[in-house]
Amino acid sequence: MPTIAVDAMGGDLAPDEVVKGVAEVSLTTDIECLVVGDERRIQAVLEGVSYNPEHIAILHCADAIGMAEDPREAVRTRHDASLIVAVRAAADGRADAVVSAGNTGACVLACAKHFRLLRGIRRAALASVFPRRTEYAGQDRLALLIDAGATVRCEADELVQFALMGHAYARRISKVANPRVGLLNMGSEPMKGGDVLVEARRRLSELPQLNFVGNVEGNELVGGRADVIVCEGLLGNVVLKLIEGVSEIFHDLSSHAGEHKLAWRLGLRLLSQEIERLRELTDYAQYGGAPILGFDRLFLKCHGRSNARAIANAVKVAAKAVRDRVPAEIADALSSLR
Amino acid sequence: MSRVARRRGGRPEPPLVCRWDLDKTYLRSEFETIRQLLRTAFERGEDKVDVPGVVELIKAIRDAAERRHQPCRTLFVSASPPQIGKAIRAKLDLDGVPYDGIVFKNQLQHLRPGKLRNLREHVGFKLVALLRGRLEEPPEARELLFGDDWESDSLIYSLYADVIARRVEGVRLERILRAVPVDPELVREVLALAARAAGADAIERVFINLERRTPPSIFRSFGQRVVPTFNYFQTACVLGGMGRLEPADVVRVGQALVGSAGYTPRRLENSLGDLVRRGHLPLRDAHALISPLRKAGLVPGPLRASGWRRVLDAVERLRERRRRVVGPSPEETAVDYEAILERLHTATPAEASGGPA
Repeated sequence: MPTIAVDAMGGDLAPDEVVKGVAEVSLTTDIECLVVGDERRIQAVLEGVSYNPEHIAILHCADAIGMAEDPREAVRTRHDASLIVAVRAAADGRADAVVSAGNTGACVLACAKHFRLLRGIRRAALASVFPRRTEYAGQDRLALLIDAGATVRCEADELVQFALMGHAYARRISKVANPRVGLLNMGSEPMKGGDVLVEARRRLSELPQLNFVGNVEGNELVGGRADVIVCEGLLGNVVLKLIEGVSEIFHDLSSHAGEHKLAWRLGLRLLSQEIERLRELTDYAQYGGAPILGFDRLFLKCHGRSNARAIANAVKVAAKAVRDRVPAEIADALSSLR
Repeated sequence: MSRVARRRGGRPEPPLVCRWDLDKTYLRSEFETIRQLLRTAFERGEDKVDVPGVVELIKAIRDAAERRHQPCRTLFVSASPPQIGKAIRAKLDLDGVPYDGIVFKNQLQHLRPGKLRNLREHVGFKLVALLRGRLEEPPEARELLFGDDWESDSLIYSLYADVIARRVEGVRLERILRAVPVDPELVREVLALAARAAGADAIERVFINLERRTPPSIFRSFGQRVVPTFNYFQTACVLGGMGRLEPADVVRVGQALVGSAGYTPRRLENSLGDLVRRGHLPLRDAHALISPLRKAGLVPGPLRASGWRRVLDAVERLRERRRRVVGPSPEETAVDYEAILERLHTATPAEASGGPA
């Protein structure tokens, strides 16, 4: 069984929700969790919930990087911070992957400092899933967006590598045999989007191992046209936050609409089942974390506000990615470029 | 390690009595549904499944006592009806478990009008059985009690221990029993037996098998005498720390878990770490166990040695901090039964079912 290092102190709801997530995993799976953080606080949370100690080890460290800290400075100076210790544990081979809900910038930089980039990879990428419509039976109801913020600006080379990494990850984790890959752009025509995107599109269409469907526009993101959507980090991050924001507005509207008019309240009651399904669909907690791809080790970055369920799902996804040898799959995919 | 032997020098050891609950403590009984209950009732001995490590633990305790020339008795107290006694005895024989007696709850007796509530009432029944059993032992006999987190074992065993030690008696005992509430007839019986059985502080530990994975903090109100354990390797380690088992005996229980229950050295190592962090096994005793366990391949080898070192260092810091915060050892504090019962009576059904009562 894989060992997953979990940064117990990272995230807005840490350590309570993180440790509860680990406890949940320990009861339902054989995954070994190496919980990294203040052992006194970790133990205090553990003893108040159901857990199975056979699958939990605690690695003490006194420090933690805050969500609002400068990532560069934190990674450079805070050697005993839980995130850094967890990443080092994976780099040393004591864990197979890392899960953290902590400071995203610090997560990416810690990986860059302690993990090795796979041969041929220039930049790492943060891949994130989001809900979308499906076009055919059996299609995964989640699409993968890569990069969601690890590399702010990219060259065409890097976008091609992201496509291959996303393709390999989707094949393994989403079990899509031949995922459809699209390039996020402002138009479907080949010449749209500027030099970098034009060049990236040209090169992606020449790769026989990719099922490349061309440019994907913003309004097609939530359709089923592409399973993997490639973009630079800045754009990807904006897209994800937009989807999240729209989802939150919808939740707010549906919660408060009924307060104003009886007719709306009745309507909402009639639609309650569908609304609940929509809520489930847009609930990030059930999707686990976003993998940082391109390194020899796996890192799953969870939402900063992750609750126990989100952490538990991220640990399960990390274990699955380890078992399915995702880094090796990515390395194989990239070797075709050389 | 054999602190018991050292403490008593050349004098003969007082007898050791181990009282075991049956369902969920010795047997992996399933009776959450009527169907499971019926199946359990009609199971044959060979169909019954024991909790991993329990057989080896019982044998190891007896063997260790024998090596110290200490008489050791193994007794079972079950709330199951005597009608399943044949299957239970067959199972114990199959497992090669030496035992000295089994007490069953005579359910038919409670089918009389007005007595139906007693079918579900275990506190009174078990207390009566324990106190009667105590009267059959010499006054100097020491006891280890083993139960689980399904019924009220932590409450019953703690109350029994405090009654024997004269910490709870007379009016207070009656008040507690009525608050449970125990059947008035059984209250009278418990009070009469308690007056005769009370004597020395004889109960060394109460082990609770966390079969339902009840959060360990729930049991903190019972004091350090109650030790909730997640597996019988943890129980063996605590007994090793107490000097009731030698390291070789602990190894034997660990081997049973690895050999037949799919445990790995890492799972055992994590179990040991948890026990130390929860304060049930002193660090020096954990140190004493690590070497023989490693030699037997039951905790990860030299590569993980540094890992174990780190665990111990962390635990030492944790315990040091706890000592500063907590003050006197929980062993020295009396159990506040009134507060425990108050909490249980005000708990939601879900909380109460997860708790010790």
